[in-house]
This record gives sequence, C-alpha cells and structure tokens, in this order.
Amino acid sequence: MPLTGKELSALQQRAKKLRKDIVDTTVWAGGAHIGGANSIVDILNILYFKYARVDTKNPQWADRDRIIVSKGHAGVGVAAVLAEKGFYKKELLKTFNHFMSPFGMHLDCHRVPGLDVSTGSLGHGLAQGVGLAWGARFQGKDWKTFVILGDGECNEGSVWEAAMSASQFKLDNLITIVDRNGLMMDGTTEQVMGLEPFDKKWEAFGFKVRIIDGHDFTQLADALDFALENKGGPVVIIANTVKGKGVDFIENDVRWHYGSMDSALAKKAMESIDRMYE
Amino acid sequence: MTDQRERLATHLFFKAALPVMKVVLEDDPVMARRFAGVSGVVQFYARDPEEPAAAYLKFTNGALEIVVGEAEGPDLTFWFPRIETMNNMLRGRPVLPVILGLVKPSDLKSPMKLAGRSAKRAILLGKVFSLLMSLKLMMPSARPTEPLKKWLKVKMAFYMVTTALSQYNKGGDPEMMAWTKKQPDRIYQITVDPGGIAAYVRVKGGHTKAGRGTYTRRRPFVHMRFNGVDGALAVLLKDVEFVEGVAKGCVRIEGSPEYAAQLNDFMQKIQSMLT
Amino acid sequence: MSETTGTTWTCYDANTMTQAEIYGRVLCDIGAQRPDLIAMTADLEKSTKIGLFKDKFPERFVNVGIAEQNLFGVAAGVAKSGLLPVVSTMAVFTSMRALEQVRTDICYQNLNVKIIATHAGMSFGAAGTTHHCTEDLAIMRSLANMTVIAPADGIETANAVRAAIEWPGPVYIRIGRGFEPVLYDTEEYGFQIGKAVELHSGTDITLICCGITALQALEAAKMLKESDGLSVRVLNMHTIKPMDTEAVMKAVKETRRIVTFEDHNVFGGLGTAVADVIAASGKGCAFEKVGIPDTYCVVGYPEDLYTHYKLDANGIMDKVREVMGKDFEEDENWDDEV
Repeated sequence: MPLTGKELSALQQRAKKLRKDIVDTTVWAGGAHIGGANSIVDILNILYFKYARVDTKNPQWADRDRIIVSKGHAGVGVAAVLAEKGFYKKELLKTFNHFMSPFGMHLDCHRVPGLDVSTGSLGHGLAQGVGLAWGARFQGKDWKTFVILGDGECNEGSVWEAAMSASQFKLDNLITIVDRNGLMMDGTTEQVMGLEPFDKKWEAFGFKVRIIDGHDFTQLADALDFALENKGGPVVIIANTVKGKGVDFIENDVRWHYGSMDSALAKKAMESIDRMYE
Repeated sequence: MTDQRERLATHLFFKAALPVMKVVLEDDPVMARRFAGVSGVVQFYARDPEEPAAAYLKFTNGALEIVVGEAEGPDLTFWFPRIETMNNMLRGRPVLPVILGLVKPSDLKSPMKLAGRSAKRAILLGKVFSLLMSLKLMMPSARPTEPLKKWLKVKMAFYMVTTALSQYNKGGDPEMMAWTKKQPDRIYQITVDPGGIAAYVRVKGGHTKAGRGTYTRRRPFVHMRFNGVDGALAVLLKDVEFVEGVAKGCVRIEGSPEYAAQLNDFMQKIQSMLT
Repeated sequence: MSETTGTTWTCYDANTMTQAEIYGRVLCDIGAQRPDLIAMTADLEKSTKIGLFKDKFPERFVNVGIAEQNLFGVAAGVAKSGLLPVVSTMAVFTSMRALEQVRTDICYQNLNVKIIATHAGMSFGAAGTTHHCTEDLAIMRSLANMTVIAPADGIETANAVRAAIEWPGPVYIRIGRGFEPVLYDTEEYGFQIGKAVELHSGTDITLICCGITALQALEAAKMLKESDGLSVRVLNMHTIKPMDTEAVMKAVKETRRIVTFEDHNVFGGLGTAVADVIAASGKGCAFEKVGIPDTYCVVGYPEDLYTHYKLDANGIMDKVREVMGKDFEEDENWDDEV
C-alpha cells in the first residue's frame, strides 16, 4: 500500500534518529562498519516499522516474519534499529564490542533479541532464507522471509547457489533486497569484481527484478508491495544506495567501510545528518 | 598334444564334479539303498600320447571315495581314446565310453566264476551308471520338479562350484591364481536358507580351500544368501539374472559387490568349461 | 571369453542391494512418526540412500542439486523455521566444501540439524582421493556444539539416526558406502550416544575402534584368543565426541595397552581423541594409533585398501602381536573338503 503522508513523515523522522544512533554506537564501540550501516538503514527502517510482523514482547514468536541481514557487518545498524523497535533498551548499545557484550561487529542471534540469524560471513544469508521460506510454505504458514544482501557479497558463489534454488523451489514468500551501494573494501564493485549487468543476472536466475533508490521510502514501499503480492517465484529489489549516506564526509568513500570517530568527528557527523533532513 | 584347458577341465571333473556324487549317495534314499553294501573300483581312463588322465571311484560298503590316478586292478574301466572325449562325456554330450572289465582274462580260467563275476560287474556297472546319470541333475537344462531332486540339485551345484573354484586355482588357471594371490584371509560363503545348504571357499595369499557348511572362525567377506531352494534354482537356472534375483529377493549379497561379481565371473568361466 | 555374468549393476540398483545399509528405511519409519522431519541432499539421493525417504514422503524432501554449501545453508534455514532437517551428502563435501556453513550456520547457531555423511574414510576407494574423506573426524571434533558418531555397521547407523533425532543440537554421523559387513545381529544391544560398546572382553590389551574397524577388531580378537591365547578387549567407540572417557580409563587401568583403529588419518581422529584422555590422566599406558598414515590414499576397492593400511582383521592381528611381542604362527592344511 502506498505510504500515507503521516507514514512517510514518521519514517523520515525515525531515519534521522537511527542515523544518529549509529554514530553514537560507532563512538561507543570504538569503531564500526558505519558506511554499510548507513546505506542499509532506510531499508531496515521501512521493513521493521511498516512491513515486518514481529512482536517485541515475544521475539521468538513462531509466526513472525523473518529478516536476515546477510551483510552481517551492518550489525551496528541492525542493533540500532532493533533497539528503536523496542526489543531492548538503547543503553545496551554502549557495551558494543566490549568484553562479553551481547553486541559485536557481527551480531549473534542467541544474544540479541529480535535477531533471526547470526550472520557475518558473507554469502550465508540467502541460503538460510531459502530454507526458512521453504519451511514456512511446507508448514502452511504465511510469514515472509526478507533477506538483505550486500552487493559485494554477491561475488560469493553461495549466493547464486541459493538464488538458483529459490527459483527452482518457486519461493514467492522470499523477498531479497540488495543494498547496492557500489563499494567494497578494495574499491568499487565494478573495479574489483564487476556485477553489471546485475539485474540481468538475477533475471537469468529466475527472479523478478525491481531497481529503486534505496533511500526513497516511497520507492521502497512500492517495490515491497510488489514483492509481497507477487506469486510463483522470488523477487529481488536492487536498492541503489550511498555508502555512508547522511554523513557527508564519509559518503561514497571506500575507506569508510569501517571507521572510528572521536567526539569531534561525531559532532560533525551529527551536524551533517541534521542537514540531510532539513 | 592335449590342450591345457582340457586338462584343467579334467582336473575339475575329477576333483570337483565326480565327488559330488557322494551327496547323492548320502542324501537320496533310493541311491543309498542301491549302493548299500556295495564295494568295487570303477576307473575313468583317457588315453593320451603324453600323459593319460585317470581317476577311480572306490566304493567300500556303500561309501564312495574318488582317487585321482590309475587304479590297480579296477573292476571296471570307462576307457576313452582321448582326454577330450572323456571330458565331453562328462559334459553330458552323447559319448559312450568303451567299457573294460566286464570280462577279465583271469575269469576265463573258470567259466562258472566268469558268469558270476561278470554278472556282479554288470550289476555294478548298472549302478554306477545310474549314479553318474545323477550328475545330469547339475546340468543347466535340468529342471526337477520333485522337492528332493530340487534340493539335491542345489546342494550338488554349490558343493561342486566351491570345490571347482578352489581346484581352478590349484589346477593352475593363471587368472584365478592372480586373483587368489593378492587376497588376505577371506571367506566366500554360499548359504541356502531355508534348506540348510552351505558351502564356502577360503582364499588366502594364493591358497584356496573349499569347505562344507558355514565357516565359523570369521565373518564371510562375500556372503551369497539364497532364499530357499526355489530362490537358488531361479538363479542357477538363469530364470533371473543375478541382480534381478537380488531385487526379487531370491538372493542377497552381503559384502563387496565388486568381489562378488568377480567370483561370479569365475563361476561362469568354470561352468562354460564343464558343460 | 565369458558371457555376461548378470552381476552388472547401476547405482540405481544399489538401493536394493545394500542389506547393510538400513538407515534409509529407518528414516522412513521415523518420518512416519515425525511429520517435521525433512530429508535433504545435494543430487545424491541414490548414493546416500536418503532417496528411500523421498519415495515415501516426496513433499518432505529437498534436493538442492550439486551445491553443498547451499545444502547446509538451506538446512539451517529449515531448522530455524521449526522443522527437523536430516541432511545427507558425502563426507568429503560436508566436512570441507560446506564446512563453513556447517560450522557458522549450524553449529554456531546450535541448530537441530542431523547430518549423515556417507562414503567416509576410504569407503569410496575406487573413486580416489577427491572422494575420500580421512579428515572429517578431526574437523568435526573441533566444532563446538557438534556431536560426532561413527557407527560400526548399518544396524548401528539405524540406532544412531534414531538417537540423533532425539539428541539436542547438531549431530554428525559418518558412514561408508553401504556395502559394509554387518557387525550386530540385533538392534537391541543398548546403543547410547557417548557410551562405548564392549564387543569382546579381555585383559591383555584393548582395541578401541570405530566404523568398519570394529568388526575387524572383533574377528581379530576371537582369532587371537584361539590361536595365541590372548585376552583382547574390543571397544566399539562409536561416539568420538563426546568420548566415553570412563571406558578409556577402565581400559588404561585394566589392560595397560591400548591400540586405536580408524578409517581416518592418524592425526586428529579417534586415536587422537583417545590419546587426549590417556595423556590427561597421567597414567602409564602403552599406546598406538593405527589409521591412514597422514597420506592421501591410493585407489582400490575399499576392502583392499583396508588390507593395505592394515585396518582389516589380519592387519589388526599383526599389530596386536607386535604390541604384545609375539610371533606369527603359520596355519593349517589346505586340502579341500570333499
């Protein structure tokens, strides 16, 4: 369903807050994957707050929708979103990366309430998504499985093995989203191991493809509506994003795949975020 | 110059096929009665320019022993002009031996004794012929219907084949010898259950030994378990191919399928030699 | 030139031929009682025998094609959706190609996935090293949350599968190709995960085995008793992890000599696991490991390979005699019984 004015406004406001939470956590953690967290956060925002059926009082609710953040290094972003959703208090994020904290660079589903799968090693999430989606259908359940991949992650063969099987098994209850921010650690995706024509690849593997601006909530809503209504096979939403979106001095900068911020830099970051939402 | 293969065939006939007649003597009540108390020596002799082949059946009060070699003063001799001829008769082909001994030079001294001894020998001849005919039960074409005959056929076949395998090795077939040489201590067991028939071949570093019953000192390396006499017959008569037999439950193979196939291969080779 | 023997067979026939491998049928029995049981494989229905389950419950069967990493990733997802996946493919692919999925998706998340890894050790002898797996016990032992079982025969595999389904968390069961000889004559011998089975009692020396070596050791023990008067204890240590440390320590105290046998590299498998226990105990004990001597195995039928690497009854007897310091005795008469 298309977003109402109110919904859009709420998403925007929350987006701003989430970006600031990510900066805070980066400071508390002593460093984080801030670039990738900022490219994915709008996708997580709309998923957790408009589309996914979850219960913060019952994180293990058997009929919840599943969300797999396969690009597990976006943990700092996921942690902020789950806190905001209400699975736990934001204060807990102050222990991020510290000794025996429930939060580390790559989140552990046994330690973080609301997290469905422990990811971190790239290429594992889509296969598990296939298994979950298959399991849901087998049991006659209508909960959905969302998998968010990184674009560099799509170098991994295991992603394509999973894609083949998603198509073979006609999993229309599996919605795949690629956070296409165009960067990897050693350069742009096209410099290191080119993905283009990316949409054609997914089509060849039997997916219906939607290409959108991953920071535009209206486009995200349209694409997700389409994916949820689609029958007969899987859908992939290629969400074009900007790594580090919102903090202008790190945007599109390969070096900011991972970085630390002192309070001075953090202040600059906050100001940049304010400017984004003026 | 007799072919090596023909000599090997003779070896197998003498050592593996003829001895199977003991099964008939023991287990067929009619035959047992026929031979009760019978004693005598009946020889097989095949002439050959280089080395004649000979073996004899020694009956002692109804019990039979097969001895390879020439007999001293046999009661009767089945004489053949060539080794191949003898083999062909044993293969069940229409060949008749020359029968020597019905009348002996020593008998001519006393016409009365001649008649008596001739008659005795003629009777012995008749009985031995009937016993030899029982070997026909093992032919691929023999399809007995009576339960005892079916059981006998299966027992004779498996007793013969296990001994034949061992003798094929001892007799010097190069392929068989190579096969047995490289094996550590292994048992190839055949059982028919129900039916109570069991025989095995033990193979160890070039040695072979055929045995009756179930080898108990270790597990069989390959175990062919036939499902009753009917299951065994289905396979022996080639009503089913072996693997088909497995699928249909006539036989189960436990153990290495490759070695079971190799063993079967040797059994086929032997069979084509002896029929 | 011999005629065809009629003993030619295809891998499709293998299902009817392997009396030794009954776990496929046991899985069907369990599947009838557990509607949440899902069987999975990677294009190996026939070789792994898990295809028997597919014949009975086609809707509860997932085949991902030749994609082992995907197989285990999907299995993790299936487990997370509330079902009970039983996954079967070859040991070499489970423990190496898909190891990260086994470790990170399944063990780290402690999911209820049961793995039946086939053609382990040298059991696929003729296929050569690419299909052998003489490292899997070492690898799987080192994964936290993983239970590792190497059943001695088809009957024990059936017991292991049944037990694994009731056991919490990931379980790795490694078996051969399905033509292995049968050790047990009944399923009721008290199989318990983590508890060794004493196949033969004895006091001179203990043979600790797993997999195909268990039967071979038992035969060796019986023959040694008869021919050399040796009292040989044989322990079927089917569970490598958790190891039955009590049984090992009993053997140390009561026999003072232990030799381990496994169709696996001498480094890292059963032998090493037993050595861990002995060394930690501080008790004196003569100890040797027999297995694949840290090499890639030659090609051959598995039975011939076991002989070559001295894992068959004869090889085991030689080893025992060596350890006991006794001489070999020549045997019997070679005349045929007629």
